[in-house]
Amino acid sequence: MKALCWNGVNDLRVERVEDPRILNPHDVIVKVALSSVCGSDLHLLDGYVPTMRPGDIIGHEFLGEIVEKGPDVRYLNRGDRVITVSIIGCGKCWHCENGDSSLCDNSNPKPQYSEAAYGHCTAGIFGYSHAFGGYAGSHAEYIRVPYADFNCFRVPEGVSDEQAVFVSDAAPTGYMAADMAGIRPGDLVAVWGCGGVGQMAIRSAYLMGAERVIAIDRYPDRLQAAQMKAGAEPLDYTRVDVFDALQAMTGGRGPDVCIDAVGMEADGYDTGLEYWYDRTKQAMGLESDRPAVLRQMVECCRKGGTLSIVGVYGGMIDKFPMGAAMNKGLTFRMGQQHGQRYAERLFEHIRKGELDPSYLLTHRLSLEDGPEGYAMFKKKTDHCMRVVFAP
Amino acid sequence: MTSSQMVSRDGRDGGLPVGEAGAAERWAAILGGTALGLAGARRGSWAGAALMALGGGLFLAGAAGVPVARALREGLGEAHLPDGLRSGVAGLLPVAEEPTTTQAVVTIAAPPETIFRFWRNVANLPRLMSHLERVDVLSEKDSRWIARGPGGVELCWTSTLDKVEENALITWHTLEGAELPHRGSFMLAPAPGGRGTEVRLTLVYRPPAGAGGRAVSRLFGSAPEQQSREALRRLKRLIETGELPTIEGQPHGTRGTRGRMQEGME
Ligand SMILES: [Zn+2]
Ligand SMILES: [Zn+2]
Repeated sequence: MKALCWNGVNDLRVERVEDPRILNPHDVIVKVALSSVCGSDLHLLDGYVPTMRPGDIIGHEFLGEIVEKGPDVRYLNRGDRVITVSIIGCGKCWHCENGDSSLCDNSNPKPQYSEAAYGHCTAGIFGYSHAFGGYAGSHAEYIRVPYADFNCFRVPEGVSDEQAVFVSDAAPTGYMAADMAGIRPGDLVAVWGCGGVGQMAIRSAYLMGAERVIAIDRYPDRLQAAQMKAGAEPLDYTRVDVFDALQAMTGGRGPDVCIDAVGMEADGYDTGLEYWYDRTKQAMGLESDRPAVLRQMVECCRKGGTLSIVGVYGGMIDKFPMGAAMNKGLTFRMGQQHGQRYAERLFEHIRKGELDPSYLLTHRLSLEDGPEGYAMFKKKTDHCMRVVFAP
Repeated sequence: MTSSQMVSRDGRDGGLPVGEAGAAERWAAILGGTALGLAGARRGSWAGAALMALGGGLFLAGAAGVPVARALREGLGEAHLPDGLRSGVAGLLPVAEEPTTTQAVVTIAAPPETIFRFWRNVANLPRLMSHLERVDVLSEKDSRWIARGPGGVELCWTSTLDKVEENALITWHTLEGAELPHRGSFMLAPAPGGRGTEVRLTLVYRPPAGAGGRAVSRLFGSAPEQQSREALRRLKRLIETGELPTIEGQPHGTRGTRGRMQEGME
């Protein structure tokens, strides 16, 4: 089959590889219909994730049809149209049973990397380096899905492929950002980053009762989408001082909830000296993540407010304003998405017309155009929000 | 870890081996900058290389909190050791002063009965320890363990059970003639809050000093605590999910020299 393989920093190639096969009794094989790029893939492309290997197939957000199933798969059948949550849960460990499937104990075949770096192992993720298990990704014609009964969700009638594909990752990530922030009616929410996850976070915050949502980015088309599609008030951080603007918009209180939908890929978040300080340290290997957004959220958030972090961080950050965080009594919530907890709920919102992720898909390309698709996504040319490959 | 550690269902290596300690360390260092890098290095060495240093600090301290570990350690006095080991393996190596205790612990979301039953059936153990070829039951108490060392060298020893407390404890020791005598205990205790069962595997052995790490590795397939840890991880995964996660046999593109080197390090 065809697959989009990582070969080195900013070097993607379309290759012919073997078809996947069932390796464990709870596996299924999915024939991929749609497979989306994701902002977190850019960490892989830029070489910030050291356990990538040449030849690794990337991609983790996908929809397709089950074409083969292992002997112990009980609830799924050939022909089912499914999405798969990008972060793999086993469905049986204590974390999975409690709905925290991205903390799964069992799904990572190579737990030693994250144990060494983090103290405990992370779950496996499709197409996201060997530290996250080394699972082959979805930018391919077929993909193998382990623990399929737990990780695959049948797409209900009335939900289109273009809507459903984002229930893999972008939608539950944004939804979880709003959910774990404990948004209450009347709350004012600020969302940093208007990519796919940020857009979903804005909409989700409204679904959970937010009074107003302010969206912060620098790209006019993304801010416009946040305003037109998700109903946010846009804030271009290159044109205004974010702190001053947020205080002015909140009667001097600051937002009740600040959502980080950017993470270490605060690309172009070059707020002068601070950016270059972090960029230099990152280049020297002294600091792996650039926390400009985090610092700003701590400063802007109202006293006693909540920071909800779903943008991806990988390692250490430097110069964190702990004093401000502590003395302002802030709450931090964070984590990779537990999509298995949210998939059904998201489908319900989509069916009722309360959420429509399909506008994230701005470019549909064939797998052959993989390298160009990522280049376009990375440089955000042609108003690109998400490129989705249809193999 | 050694390459013998994470064998997929079909028996091929899918895991992270000796060089892995290094790879994980590097990963930690790259991700974490200096400070986490140091932490990673500490863990990394614990995970693989500096076997001798380890038996000491961290693990012994952990084990000291467990009465059975101390008892086991005392039980493995000089008198219990065969002549061959008293003067070092094959008489060539000096004997280390203190026996080494390693311990691994894991929480499994299952009742003690299920876990006890699995472990008590020694025929299951090769699924947990990749270097183990098979375990034959000789009698009510005795079993014969057959392992493959590096290069296919066959290693055999006989273990006898000391204590068996239903759903709580199994202890054993190797009989005279084992290349590296050791004692072990497998303890189960309910975890709080319905989290299942806490499983503790303790091994006490007397590593020959100096180049002894090699002898230990020959017997266990890698650093013993790494083996214990990996055995418990597999036990957890098999009991909780009925399978071991693997990517062995999945498709990938051209690995190239660099990719093959990275693969080789696992
Ligand atoms: Zn993603
Ligand atoms: Zn799990």
